Amino acid sequence: MKKIIYKAALVFAFLSASSCSEDLLDVDNPNTITQEQFWLSESDAQKGINAVYHMFYQNGGFNRWIYFRLDLTSDEGYSISPWVELADWTRFQYVNYNFWEGNSNTWRDIYKAIFRANQVIANVPNIEFSDPAKKEQIIAQAKFLRAFYYYYAAILWENVPLVLEPSNPDDLPMQRTLDEVWAQVEKDLTEALPALPVQWDAANVGRPTKGAVMAFLAKAHMQQRDWASAKTALDYFITGEGAGKYSLVANFRDNFRHTNENNAESVFEIQFSDANKTGEGDGPNSNMGTNRAQFFAPRGIGWSDGQARPWIINEFKSERTQAGGLDERLRYTLFYPELEEDFGDKTYGRNWEWGDNEAWFRKYSRDYYRNNEDYFSEVNFRVIRYADILLMYAEVLNELGQTAQAHQYVDQVRSRANLRPLAQAYPQIGNDQGLFRERLKIERAKELYGESVRWADLKRWGDLETDAKVDQVAQRDPDFNNFEVGKHIRLPIPQSEVLNNPNLNQNPKY
Amino acid sequence: MKHNYLIKNVWYLVVLMLIFSSTSGVFAQGIAVRGTVTDEKGSGLPGVAVVLKGTTVGASTDADGNFALTVPGGQSNGTLVVSYLGYVSHEVAINNRSTINIQLVPDAEALEEVVVVGYGTQQKQDLTGAISVVKPQEIQKRQATTVAEAMQGLASGVVVRGGGQPGSEAQIQIRGLKNLSGANPLYVIDGLITTANRDFNPNDIESIQILKDASAAAIYGSRAANGVIIITTRKGKEGPMKIEFSGKSSLQTMPRYDLAETDEFARINYMAYDNANVPRQNLNTSINTDWQDEAFRTGNIQDYNLSFSGGSKDGSYLVSANYFGNKGTVIDTEFDRLSLRVNSRGTKGIFTIGENIAISNSKADEMSGNPIVDVVRLLPTIPVYDPRNPGGYGYGNESTGRTFGTNPVAIADLEDRTNENLRLRGNIFAELKPFEFLTYRLNLGYETSSDHYSYFRKQGNWTLNQAFDPAIANENRARYSSGLVENTVTFNKAFGQHTFTLLGGQTYQREKYEQIWGTKRNILYNPTTQQYYPVLDQGNEPQTGGFAREAILLSYLGRLEYNYGDRYLFNAVIRRDGTSRLGRDYQWGNFPSVSAAWRISEESFFNLPLVSDLKLRASYGTLGSSNIGYWDYLGTINTFSTIAIGQDQHVESGATQVRLVNPDLRWETLKQSNFGVDLGFLNNKLAITAEYFIAKTEDVLTGMPIAMTTGNDGGNPVVNAASLKNKGFEFSATYTEEGKAFNYSAGINLTTLRNEVLELGYGRNNIFVGNTVTEIGQPIGAWFVLETDGLFQSDEEVQSYRNAEGQVIQPNAKPGDIRFKDHNGDGAITNDDKVVVGNPWPDFELGINLGASYKGFEMTMNWFGSFGATVFNGPRSIMDRFDDNSNYRAGVQPWTPENPNTDVPRAYYASTLNSRGDTDRWLEDGSFMRLKYISLAYTIPAAITQRIGIANAQVSISGQNLLTFTKYTGLDPEFNNGSIYERGYDFGAFPNLKMYSVGLQFGF
Repeated sequence: MKKIIYKAALVFAFLSASSCSEDLLDVDNPNTITQEQFWLSESDAQKGINAVYHMFYQNGGFNRWIYFRLDLTSDEGYSISPWVELADWTRFQYVNYNFWEGNSNTWRDIYKAIFRANQVIANVPNIEFSDPAKKEQIIAQAKFLRAFYYYYAAILWENVPLVLEPSNPDDLPMQRTLDEVWAQVEKDLTEALPALPVQWDAANVGRPTKGAVMAFLAKAHMQQRDWASAKTALDYFITGEGAGKYSLVANFRDNFRHTNENNAESVFEIQFSDANKTGEGDGPNSNMGTNRAQFFAPRGIGWSDGQARPWIINEFKSERTQAGGLDERLRYTLFYPELEEDFGDKTYGRNWEWGDNEAWFRKYSRDYYRNNEDYFSEVNFRVIRYADILLMYAEVLNELGQTAQAHQYVDQVRSRANLRPLAQAYPQIGNDQGLFRERLKIERAKELYGESVRWADLKRWGDLETDAKVDQVAQRDPDFNNFEVGKHIRLPIPQSEVLNNPNLNQNPKY
Repeated sequence: MKHNYLIKNVWYLVVLMLIFSSTSGVFAQGIAVRGTVTDEKGSGLPGVAVVLKGTTVGASTDADGNFALTVPGGQSNGTLVVSYLGYVSHEVAINNRSTINIQLVPDAEALEEVVVVGYGTQQKQDLTGAISVVKPQEIQKRQATTVAEAMQGLASGVVVRGGGQPGSEAQIQIRGLKNLSGANPLYVIDGLITTANRDFNPNDIESIQILKDASAAAIYGSRAANGVIIITTRKGKEGPMKIEFSGKSSLQTMPRYDLAETDEFARINYMAYDNANVPRQNLNTSINTDWQDEAFRTGNIQDYNLSFSGGSKDGSYLVSANYFGNKGTVIDTEFDRLSLRVNSRGTKGIFTIGENIAISNSKADEMSGNPIVDVVRLLPTIPVYDPRNPGGYGYGNESTGRTFGTNPVAIADLEDRTNENLRLRGNIFAELKPFEFLTYRLNLGYETSSDHYSYFRKQGNWTLNQAFDPAIANENRARYSSGLVENTVTFNKAFGQHTFTLLGGQTYQREKYEQIWGTKRNILYNPTTQQYYPVLDQGNEPQTGGFAREAILLSYLGRLEYNYGDRYLFNAVIRRDGTSRLGRDYQWGNFPSVSAAWRISEESFFNLPLVSDLKLRASYGTLGSSNIGYWDYLGTINTFSTIAIGQDQHVESGATQVRLVNPDLRWETLKQSNFGVDLGFLNNKLAITAEYFIAKTEDVLTGMPIAMTTGNDGGNPVVNAASLKNKGFEFSATYTEEGKAFNYSAGINLTTLRNEVLELGYGRNNIFVGNTVTEIGQPIGAWFVLETDGLFQSDEEVQSYRNAEGQVIQPNAKPGDIRFKDHNGDGAITNDDKVVVGNPWPDFELGINLGASYKGFEMTMNWFGSFGATVFNGPRSIMDRFDDNSNYRAGVQPWTPENPNTDVPRAYYASTLNSRGDTDRWLEDGSFMRLKYISLAYTIPAAITQRIGIANAQVSISGQNLLTFTKYTGLDPEFNNGSIYERGYDFGAFPNLKMYSVGLQFGF
């Protein structure tokens, strides 16, 4: 019996001994560092800002879907995709406001980028740098990128919430007016300006320069029709510190190929690379290329989800060059039925096999060295190039009543295409502000077709503000027959956002 | 310290064994007593305990009912206590006899079943909580990959959906959706906390009990909020070796859609294009492909088991082997499993040791794409093969057949996914019984699996306009392990009328998972032999990665069972759990419960001759749950992003927070009350159980959707978001009549359940997901859609459809278009007109089980029905739309001026206006009643089989899912959707299959 009691005692001793201390439960995550372990060093700050650039590579933005909003919704493009909902979203038939590809993904990725910028802006000031200027540069980049994304949010949805601090899961931010959003864009850009360089060293080319800041500042002012402020910003390129730093490249096509990137014409350019051939997102080795060409390539080559309205062909053909030939810009802007006849180029090596009234975007396609596309296009996207700056400057001067001075900037762009000066080609324009404006619209289209600026242009010009004007647009793009004034000038906010955030109202008429 | 923990316990076990093996031989001398124990018919009863009263001296009978034991000197006038489950205990004086034969009489009163309740057993009559017992034979009769799949309709309060696909695992839900993170219950197999996934052989089951209410499940504390399924596996029985074989062979067929053939398809397709003024596509009407014939086939299952078992009074063994092979009903899908189990135990004196270990290897050749939807999306005018396309398969074509459907034959050939798991699962335990009333048990459980997933993609396309991809190979290899250490002490003693059972214990479980993966592109191809080399040797652009996960759960538990005169029963449980999955300040939780029962039928005043048993039960308990990710409370930095930057576009890395977290995550707690009554009539021929329960879950842990303006990605952060209530009523009745030759039984079980959201996280009132809304005061995931109101028949109807202010509500509509209800009266159809239209939860579910036997013949039938759910028919929302090209339902009647009497709107290509997905047009009544199982078995008379040396043999034929009564027009009303908010959305779920089986079983 004693023996048994002894054994029982042993058992209980064991039991109590084995109820180990409770730090057993502290299991560390072996996979990655935690929030507390980050934002401590210069290298953390650099990685933090880099992660904001990585948002260029995600689906909602310049990797894929935003082109559907900026190019296809405008009168430059359209879609007859067999994916009907995708096509409906380029012709103002918005049924499901949560449609991911048409709306929610872009909304989410814009705010995802803003969240990343906010993390830099909030955390980097607390990090000690050996060179304080470098710290300011990092914060300034974040402010530029935040402004960049709010610029597009303002263009697309207008009345969006302003999130300016790192997010918490329970945040339900207040809706802001378009004016408030523009004010924030201007504020961020103004604050970003001092620390950013006129030009980056070779290792950092691709990051925003003072020129990029000024260009976006001008764009923001112009959308508000604040022409004087826009001029002040653009003066940077003409008379200011940026004068002489930019020029038009000799070959128009060099703006859309991977072979002559970050050239003298480039003001701000998204750096794409085909180094990682996997899916987009936040996983390892995620794609750093763009899908644009895969989605816009002709039927049988790519998804053919978006294509070009052909009206621009007539605009190009209506004016001959000084040598009496066709405007070369047409050649590098579109694939169209007479491309081979006019310039001797096939379409991805094929004869024309598409409709007689069809055209496809050639800018950013890679037909110049391959016959197919994929998801990993390495061709940088030129967000703003100097030609755009010159045309904006001309527009601003014209709106300020300085039409005479405006001519020369349009002429610079025309002369690369070997077109005569406006005064010679269209003498009736003279210094008539209205005629000049109408001409400038065509000049912008011919130079910048398919470069994602048209939607903002139409809005700024007021072409979407009355039924009569919309009818004119609809002559170029019948999708605008569905356009309802006062409603379709902005997208519906994703319905789940409106439903789940009591501080957010759906845009008018939706 | 923690790493030494397991080792220490193993070491201790060894020491214990050494100490106690020295106690042998104490009771060696005395006189021999032998005899036979028989039942009321005079047949020998095996496994009967024969014990010398007041000692631990005893034996149990062999297969023929014989026993032999040695009575210590001086006790030859003692008394033998003979007890056997279901029989009245019998005491017989030895009186110096050396041969004693005893006939036992059945215990008419006892509800004799012993129920495993977690860290112990109870007599069913003593239960105070809600526990269902499923007979393993019922499960083993059915042809199923997993236990869960086989359990449907067999117990009230248990809802099972899914299965069908080779190697797929069914979803099981006990007493409703009590949280938002998944409803699968906890499985405990031989004391090991695990999952009864497809690696587990259901043929090894000896008993299954389902712990449904909080008091019953409380001993498993934090693991048990979704209920607990306790499985014990078969053990050898005393007697010579028994060899048993069972084999089943089945054919499986897929339910099919009734789809248009080329003629009908072309007619409607042209109509849709014509109505939209779009030039018709150039359909190739000489082709008439039946995509269902191409993608589906007759599947089969082979299931063979062989077991060897036996034992003596102080030891037993069981070895069982199983092969299960399933050729899927979708081309190029397959699953097979080989498993081996060895269970054994041995006793010496006060010490018992045993183990239950299974090793299995499962391999699934998984389905690529979703053929269930693709057979609808592909047009009959598309050929299966088309040499002009890369890879040689036909699919959509811009001019002759515009569709983005995937060719299932192409993807089956060009993509290959396999998943293989080698798993070892089992436990080893040691028990020490120093006194009759005291047991100490050490249980060491261990499970490990070696997982291998491989993906290989050949070059070639399966859908229109697909981007070019080279041959790609991806593999991952992983190791999972889970170690469990449990120490429990049980004290059990009666003091007169008072019986106490006290349990105390402590458990520790550590789970670990580690994975590495690699991918290569441009996999080597030999064009001469047309052979790929799909391993990660050749190829280029390599990528690799890996990750590790670990979690620990530490618990203390205690239970008191008190029984006063078999009339008053009381049960109390406390469990304290600590988990590594919650933030450091919130790791611990206490989960108590109490329950009581009153067996009125045992009272002396109770005198209703018809009523043989009457028991009232009530319980209240709390359970915790931390069924979330490993480090959901911890904000981490994603360091994967890279950017190209600089003139040379060199790559730099980025790092940032991607997924938001809530650092203050707490335990989710379930508070459940249960009220039950058990009734037995006519000597328990008719047994009725009825239960009512209210379960309230607070601080529900879930990844509740948050605003996208937060910029969050990678999954919604987990939050203690909601509070839910489930109320339900369960009823089950069985009637059993046993005659000499003819026996029959009939059982019915009924479950009703209402769930209600009491509170939502972040102070919100609702969550919108897809076409559903989850609102406070309402059930989870109610349908939130536009209501349709028939079709416009004329322009006058369009013009006269106005709101109160006289605005034409759908000015652009044409005759044949859908009329929507303008619920907010603003004169336009917008999202604000959406309303709640039903919910996906059934009003009640019903199981009916019938059995009858006559001589050697035995017939079984199980019916299962579910009534009152509103479900969304996803495949029909593809078939009955005309805006986008996919095949149409055969016989569909789109509106035309000539044929206006239809509920299908006019066919109109390329406009979603008539075919939008967010309307009640796709909602259907999901009620059904289904013959889940029917079988006829014949036991060959022993007189015949014994001539060839076989003890028993049975042949059977059976069928599963043979008959279904439903109004649902999809493939299967009994579909499964894993999303909690969209439970009733049939997205083209894999259907239940019809199965025809033959079985053979024999033993010797």
